Amino acid sequence: MKRRLMSAILAVSMTASLAACGSSSTPDGTAASQSPSTSGGSSSDAIQIKIWSPTDEVGVENWWTEKMAQWNSEHPEIQVSREAIDRADSYAYENKITTATTSNDLPDILFVDGPTVSYYAANQTIIPIDEVYTDEDKKDFMPSSVQQNTYDNHMYAIGPTESSVALYYNKDYLDAAGIPYPSDSNIEEAWTWTEFYENAKKLTTSDYVGTNIIMDKGEGLIYALEPFFLENGASFVSDDGSKAEGYVNSEAMVETMNYLNKFIKEGIANIDPVKDEFLNGKAATMLGGSWNIADLEKSDLNWGVSYYPVSDDHKAASPTGDWTAAVTKDCKNPEAAMEVLKWFFNTENVADYASAIAKPASRTSSYEKMEGWDNGVRALFLWQLQNTGVARPSTPSYSVLSQGFATAILNVFSGTDAKSELDTVAADFEEDYETYYGN
Amino acid sequence: MKPITETNDKHSFSPCGRLSSESLLRKTGQKKLKREIGMKTNKSSIAGITMSAPVIIMLTAFLIIPIMGTIYFSFFKYQVMRPDAKTFNGINNYLKLLTDENFYIALKNTVYFSILVVPFQCTLALVLALLVRSKMKGVAIFRTMYFSPQVTSMVVIAILWVILYNSNANTGLINAALSRIGLGPFDFLNNPKIAMNSIVFMSAWQGAGYQMMIFLAGLNAIPSEQYEAASVDGANPVDQFLYVTLPGLKNTIKYVLMITIIQAMKLFTQPYIMTKGGPQNKTKTMVYYIYEQGFQKGNFGYACCIAAIFFFIVVILSLVVKKLTRTK
Repeated sequence: MKRRLMSAILAVSMTASLAACGSSSTPDGTAASQSPSTSGGSSSDAIQIKIWSPTDEVGVENWWTEKMAQWNSEHPEIQVSREAIDRADSYAYENKITTATTSNDLPDILFVDGPTVSYYAANQTIIPIDEVYTDEDKKDFMPSSVQQNTYDNHMYAIGPTESSVALYYNKDYLDAAGIPYPSDSNIEEAWTWTEFYENAKKLTTSDYVGTNIIMDKGEGLIYALEPFFLENGASFVSDDGSKAEGYVNSEAMVETMNYLNKFIKEGIANIDPVKDEFLNGKAATMLGGSWNIADLEKSDLNWGVSYYPVSDDHKAASPTGDWTAAVTKDCKNPEAAMEVLKWFFNTENVADYASAIAKPASRTSSYEKMEGWDNGVRALFLWQLQNTGVARPSTPSYSVLSQGFATAILNVFSGTDAKSELDTVAADFEEDYETYYGN
Repeated sequence: MKPITETNDKHSFSPCGRLSSESLLRKTGQKKLKREIGMKTNKSSIAGITMSAPVIIMLTAFLIIPIMGTIYFSFFKYQVMRPDAKTFNGINNYLKLLTDENFYIALKNTVYFSILVVPFQCTLALVLALLVRSKMKGVAIFRTMYFSPQVTSMVVIAILWVILYNSNANTGLINAALSRIGLGPFDFLNNPKIAMNSIVFMSAWQGAGYQMMIFLAGLNAIPSEQYEAASVDGANPVDQFLYVTLPGLKNTIKYVLMITIIQAMKLFTQPYIMTKGGPQNKTKTMVYYIYEQGFQKGNFGYACCIAAIFFFIVVILSLVVKKLTRTK
């Protein structure tokens, strides 16, 4: 009897857990899907458009639910569904794209990270969508966004947001160390490399580190740290994206790598920062994105934002680029997919999306519908984007470059020679380009 | 069988007149027998095929075809994003492999991990099994506790250990504890000298529970009379362990060794989650290297080439282990 009771309890709990898995729609679920039947009316002969994008913050997830419901009810002939896939701070999402490519199972619309547009376009994983952009659109979208979504003179993607990274600081910790706040209104007064290093060193205590420079150990490394290299006069690849030898392993690159390594080597920054290190008061400053604003505004932390550090001779650069939507080679109805993209990324929807995640909108016209971007901390991010923003390298071998760079910089942080690490990145890049894209 | 044999013996030298009918009878009998045997054979082979079909189909679909596919693609230049544009590359991938420094590093790391983790994990499992063998009240709680890491996803465990291993004494639990006794902090996952050892330790901790259960089953199979006889002969607990327990567990130990070695050779999740193969390639294992080449760098043909070679290495290793541990 007892055994039977136990079996019954076990069976019920297993069924419940399976049911819970099946209906996962939380942002934390590994692959939550939103189907047209739950968000609007659909008919059997309607064109089905499937979208893949990484699982996002609650605000963005809500945006998808709301906009999909609206589209599906207004367009019974084209029904949209979406699958949210976890990135897990790594390349898990990209791996899924890779496996789907080999079995021709890509969705109709695919979200890809900005700098990988050239990689997917060169490999014909995504198709040109020039029809999506009118001439007005091209003027309306931020130049950095247009640049990121262009490959070989064709538009390949369209995205709702841009991004920028600036220096967050904890006012209480700066006060305790007797360091004046860095400027948030004049880039001429932004911290230079030397000031950033010395202040971060001064701020480091036994309870918290001076700064946080590691966003994640994948794409976040090249994204957040590239401006340091550019400010020092380096570039990762040649202008046409075909050569890395002599660029990624140049003297300026090595010098910058050694500068960044000082932060890790001297314990000023953690190589393995815990989640929300700055938010939890475990770091005095942080190189963070505009998307961190929302959480910080909700917290009790006494914080401020200043410009991304500039070089000692006051050259300024800052990261740009964001996730963007493209139509895949496996799409059966590209025209319908492009219609979907046009509507989802119109002025109003872009404004809603950008507001939901506190990122700068990719369309200039959207700012009229958004609050808080004309002054305060958000305005600083927007100013950076428009004035000092630089795109990541555009090359079909971008994935080899990005991952090679991540490995190299982590190796340098663990004690290897910067020059030899960067030589390896250059050699791997050259081999990849030569093998698959060279003539 | 019997009547036919008799018929044969009796009439083998019979006169010609009767021979035809006798031989006819004999032939009819043989045919009948053959038919009966044939029917039985058919029935049993149909049953055999039917019963083994699911396994054969599954093995073919998920093991044999992929292995064949891997070997086939290893002869191609194949960018993973362009499956339609692959070109035959002869044995060039294999020639490249011969001079690929990273391949040897990955092989060395995999062997290093296996050499450390196999004895460590098996010993730990045996010690735990001996501890939880006693019939004490509440021992089941310990069994469940020791086994629980096994039923938890390795990804979850790896993420937890990244937090435990954090190099900063403010945020890493292990370093916080060590700092209390004046040690550390240690950079468990970013110091090239100790990164792999850190993975060995957590892997053994995670995997030992499973082997413990197998050892426990083996220990329970040793008759208690043997221990009684040994104690009557004056054997102390150490002697009992050496001369009763260990010989009694011989076959269990062989099995545990075999599965642990094969599992160790397949190490992937821990370096993928915890170290991304670093620092300085010190935790880059064979499977991680295959993943890196195939997925991160897109060299699918070359990744297949490494996978094919690795497959043969594991097969040979399994055969060697099997031969070395064979019971005479």
